[in-house]
Amino acid sequence: MKSRVFLFISLSLVFFLAWSSIGWSQAPREEAETTAQHLATLLTVGRLIVERNQTLINDPRKGDKGFTPEVFEHEVVDEFIRQAHIDLKHLPSHLPSLAKELLLVLLQSSKEVVADVQFVINQRGIGYKNFIPATFGSQAARKFSNRSQVTIKQTTLNPRNLKNTPDAYEENLLKRLATQPASATSITEWIDNDTTLRAMTPIYYSQDCLACHGDPKGILDISGYPREGAQEGDLAGAISIQIPVKSR
Amino acid sequence: MALYNRSSILNSMILDRSIMNARSVTRKLRYGLKKLGSQGIILFLVAIGIFLQGCGLVFDAVELVQPLARDEMSAICSRGQLRVGISVEPFRPFVFPAVFTDEGVRVTGLDVELIREVADALTTYCGGQKPIAPTLHLTRFRDLFIEMNEGHLDLFVSSIGGNVPGARPAGLWYSIPYFHNGGIGAMIQQPEVAERIRAQFQKQSGNPDTLAAIQAGLSGLTVAAQRGRTSHLYAEANFKNIRLLICDSLPAAVETKDPRIDVILSKHSILDYVTKHVWPDWHLLTRNDGTPLILTQEYYSIVTVEEHRRLQWFLNNLLYRLAESGRLEQMRRRWLEEDYAPTRRATTEGLPFEISKVPEHYDQGQCRFATGR
Repeated sequence: MKSRVFLFISLSLVFFLAWSSIGWSQAPREEAETTAQHLATLLTVGRLIVERNQTLINDPRKGDKGFTPEVFEHEVVDEFIRQAHIDLKHLPSHLPSLAKELLLVLLQSSKEVVADVQFVINQRGIGYKNFIPATFGSQAARKFSNRSQVTIKQTTLNPRNLKNTPDAYEENLLKRLATQPASATSITEWIDNDTTLRAMTPIYYSQDCLACHGDPKGILDISGYPREGAQEGDLAGAISIQIPVKSR
Repeated sequence: MALYNRSSILNSMILDRSIMNARSVTRKLRYGLKKLGSQGIILFLVAIGIFLQGCGLVFDAVELVQPLARDEMSAICSRGQLRVGISVEPFRPFVFPAVFTDEGVRVTGLDVELIREVADALTTYCGGQKPIAPTLHLTRFRDLFIEMNEGHLDLFVSSIGGNVPGARPAGLWYSIPYFHNGGIGAMIQQPEVAERIRAQFQKQSGNPDTLAAIQAGLSGLTVAAQRGRTSHLYAEANFKNIRLLICDSLPAAVETKDPRIDVILSKHSILDYVTKHVWPDWHLLTRNDGTPLILTQEYYSIVTVEEHRRLQWFLNNLLYRLAESGRLEQMRRRWLEEDYAPTRRATTEGLPFEISKVPEHYDQGQCRFATGR
């Protein structure tokens, strides 16, 4: 009798530990994947807001553009509600705590980039200022990565900025994405014994991008780089996110 | 002379004199303190503390004595920073307008490349263990001199003419040239202006006198120059029968539609660049043989305060070496002759600057007539 009780308790304990361990590992995985998805969306939204304001930013006749960090934030918050159905000003309780924390860090980093660039964009008499979605995204991602354990990077197969050169993992995925039909879906994968999440969200060329990245291929664009000869809908690159789970 | 000029000259004379007086007192005080030694300095400060009311005065006294402990070169080495003033008004290709890059906000240009050379040489001078980082202070041109006199800068580089009369405020020192091919040029939009000048040169029949030709040719026209720059000094000194417009910047002159500007005077190298790359509606004023019309020669120098002898020798020796090795000529060709995109160069080799130091909502300003001419 005693041995049966002992066996029952032991099995219960084993089952409980196994269940709880699955639970513990499953929750951070889902949390990380959701977080990566929202972070990629938020960076994409920031890039979109910069793109929408490009004519204003490059207007040489206007001094103070009024494109302040607050205006930027307002537009980002509105667009993020449209795209992700999440109000960054009142984050929903069901959102994972990691996402809550990091979305605000990325929003703050993005605002700081817009604050840093105020002097440049408010210069009257100067048209093109190179404050474009790509440069905004690079800086916002770098600021964000410097203040969290999560890394965000914009990457592409033929980077203009060598710091955006893909690592081996990113290169393989980019090559695969380039051969597939356009899709907004992120590719997520757990590597290093399931301790690191890698997520890649593809970016495709829109019509506005082609002024610099389109035809004629090889001819220098306004910023001095040779045009890539891209077509609308071609893969431009990806937002690459790495979230280490155990290090949290 | 114009009321505008009289008051500005008077102001600068008063400023110069007060700076000279302050420097003379400082020199005497330093000499006396050197004789006292470190214990003497402490006693001196204690005495000041007792006799002078208020901590501020003691603090000022300590600041006054501080240079005794470190000369300007060791101050730069220990700081790890070279504080460089640079004009916020763009003088392409010497200083391009600030742009945003993947690395953040950057400025680039020939002057910026020279600053990198100076910083690299200082890194070697300081032992090479800690790189000397150039910290750029983008300031309005007119404020560079004030910033320098107030001790906020180690030096400034902004295509400053070192040999044009009136261009050197007292108390500042100008290096040997880093750019020899300067000179004041002119750009125009209306071909009639070029015809007037051409007619004047033809009258001279093989015995050219540029000043006479330009004085007669521009008579009655509206001529713009940037306030405080050498073109302004040249116009004030040499043209009597023009309507002189003083502009806050070169872009301000280009943007002005009322009154219509007939001629803009500025540095020839800058005008050569902007007529080719920035404002194709404007054209360089040329001689009858098609060569650019240069009104006077000018060379550009690095500027520091008068007292910094070690830094001055360091700069002169460095510039001499850069000239000797052909590096200065290479820089000139890179920025003035090669085909390039400034934005791309800003990304790869531009320098950051202190955002907190730049004027808020900088714009190129405006133009106004010089009064009393």
